[in-house]
Amino acid sequence: MNPVSRGIRNAFRNVVRSGSIVLILGLSIGLSLTMLIAQKAVDNKIKSVKSSIGNTITISPAGFQPGSDEGNALTTSDLKKVQALAHVQSVEEALTGRQSTTGSSSPSFGRFDSSDDSSSSTTSLTSPVTLNSGGPRFFAQGNASGSDNAASATFSLPISFLGTNNPGSVSGTTITLSKGKAIDGTADTNDALISKAMAKKNNLSVGDTFTAYNATLTVTGIFTSSSNNQSAEGTVVLSLPALQRLSGQSGVVSSAVATVDSLDNLSSVTSKVKSTLGSSADVTSAEEQADDTVKPLNSVKTVSTFSLIGSVIAGAVIILLVMVMIVRERKKEIGVVKAIGGSNVRIVGEFMVEALTLAVLGAVIGLIIGVIGGQPVTKMLVDNSSSSGAQTTSFQEPGGDRGGFTIRRSGAGDDMQTPPTGGGQGGFGGRLRTNAATRSFSNVKAQVGPEILLEGFGAAVLIAVLGSALAAGMIAKVRPSTVMRAE
Amino acid sequence: MVEVKDLVKTFQSGDGTVTATSNISFKVPDGQFASIVGRSGSGKSTLLSLLGALDEPTSGSIVVGNKDITTLKDHELIAYRGKSIGFVFQNYNLVPSLTALENVMLPMEFAKVPKHARIERAKNLLAEVGLDETQMQRKPGRLSGGQQQRVAIARALANKPALILADEPTGNLDAATGKMIFDLLHTLSRKENTTIIVVTHDLEIAGKTDKTFKLDDGKLIK
Repeated sequence: MNPVSRGIRNAFRNVVRSGSIVLILGLSIGLSLTMLIAQKAVDNKIKSVKSSIGNTITISPAGFQPGSDEGNALTTSDLKKVQALAHVQSVEEALTGRQSTTGSSSPSFGRFDSSDDSSSSTTSLTSPVTLNSGGPRFFAQGNASGSDNAASATFSLPISFLGTNNPGSVSGTTITLSKGKAIDGTADTNDALISKAMAKKNNLSVGDTFTAYNATLTVTGIFTSSSNNQSAEGTVVLSLPALQRLSGQSGVVSSAVATVDSLDNLSSVTSKVKSTLGSSADVTSAEEQADDTVKPLNSVKTVSTFSLIGSVIAGAVIILLVMVMIVRERKKEIGVVKAIGGSNVRIVGEFMVEALTLAVLGAVIGLIIGVIGGQPVTKMLVDNSSSSGAQTTSFQEPGGDRGGFTIRRSGAGDDMQTPPTGGGQGGFGGRLRTNAATRSFSNVKAQVGPEILLEGFGAAVLIAVLGSALAAGMIAKVRPSTVMRAE
Repeated sequence: MVEVKDLVKTFQSGDGTVTATSNISFKVPDGQFASIVGRSGSGKSTLLSLLGALDEPTSGSIVVGNKDITTLKDHELIAYRGKSIGFVFQNYNLVPSLTALENVMLPMEFAKVPKHARIERAKNLLAEVGLDETQMQRKPGRLSGGQQQRVAIARALANKPALILADEPTGNLDAATGKMIFDLLHTLSRKENTTIIVVTHDLEIAGKTDKTFKLDDGKLIK
């Protein structure tokens, strides 16, 4: 019989005790594995989010005060300085506004919003986005009063107007023309693009006209958004100079996106843009946005990493205590083996095989626990983390659009009806993007592949080796003369 | 030849030093059966530990087969214990998880004897000490005291050692079984031409050995 088979046999000398040890180790290794699975899943998600970021920088006016016209306006001339910076490929500029449907009750909006009670703040269009129709539920809030005005059935959502020098995307969503022709983003004309849903709602087709900002606008194209974005569907796209003229905000831009030639230059160009625009603008790179987005996942990763380390240490301590107990029990036997020619290496090897046998059996139980518990535990950790992260983000983020509407959604995907804290700021675009990212966290998939299984067994071996270390030291110290002492 | 010269072993105990063996010198020629007698605490077992390289002497020398074992390094001591010495203990000290056969094979495994050779020799030795095939496959817990001591003797002889050291080998056995074990030890040592040094309280047994050394308070008085 060789030392390996002796070590394996020794592991079963006391079946009840060994069974209990294997069970406890199984729980410990199972927890380690569950945390490893969670960590890998979250890590993959973080990598996927970071790999999907574009090399863009978002610029918006700084110092928004809800309901106030005070603050720093971002202007076309500011953005020309940005365009002139090295490595900046293009700068997409946008101005947004809102118009109420003529004859409907609607709230007023904050700064940059050209709406008021006069006819210049109304449009002949009706929003295709309906309230309480199974999708996200909306809350409207009056800017001045700050009181909650729950939307009623007679309330009509305002129409968003987007003036842009790049009419290819709306609210971060790429649009595709299904009818008509595109507009020139730099030409000051009354041409407009509307969504298919908007056209259907208002019985409009290419060439038809509608009114807004006390002017008559012509539908030159009808688009569909790539993800049926409700924000995009409720938006009319104009050229930037046209909306600046119509809303009386000449040269004013509400947001811009600068594209950098490569990801390598993103960080340095972001710094240059910040120093160029100073305190007049909030400048955020896509990288920073991605970092913000994955913050909840990073906390899950940290929790799972510490839990993984903790459970591996717990497993090692269990094996350590068990092996110390076994060595103490078999001290005389070790002395006998040494007295008849057994070396320390051989005896330690035998004990390590015994520890390894217990650890591997524990790993088998742990793998079963890990495979069963990996996905639910990952989901629970991500859900808990992302819902708290989403709430925090919801109150801090200025939003990409203006107006009194806030759409919030919990990480688990349940709608939440919470009125906004302020009047004007909020916004469809920013909220929708944040919530989409948050919602995608709940789709973090925990996968158990051969790599995880190998790492699980690796953890078992590590636990056995670490746990046997002290026992090995004790074995080496056992003197063969121990055998001469009476029991 | 086993030659012990000026052997001293002291222990630290509390504030003082205890002398377990004091300037002991003696010789045992090859193939002889010697006994060490003395009262409890006279240093008999300590002397046996030193002869078997289980413990290091404070001073003095022990020469076994022209080799001073007090100068050996750790790995040489392991080889010495495995190949040159056979131990028989009062409490048998068999490995409880191994069968009788595996217990006898164990020292041969440490000495790197090929598997088939060690199985054959272990079976022969166990047969010589009177165990049948069934008893050979039993673990120590299922053998009587006398049978366990027979297994221990077979294990001590496994690597054909030059010296067998027996510490009260009949101490836990009844008189008849004790006599049987002593005769077995005597017969086998003659057959294998092995030197035996046995520690015993039993003066009758000591009287049957070739040479008897008497220890008192760590000193050799006879």
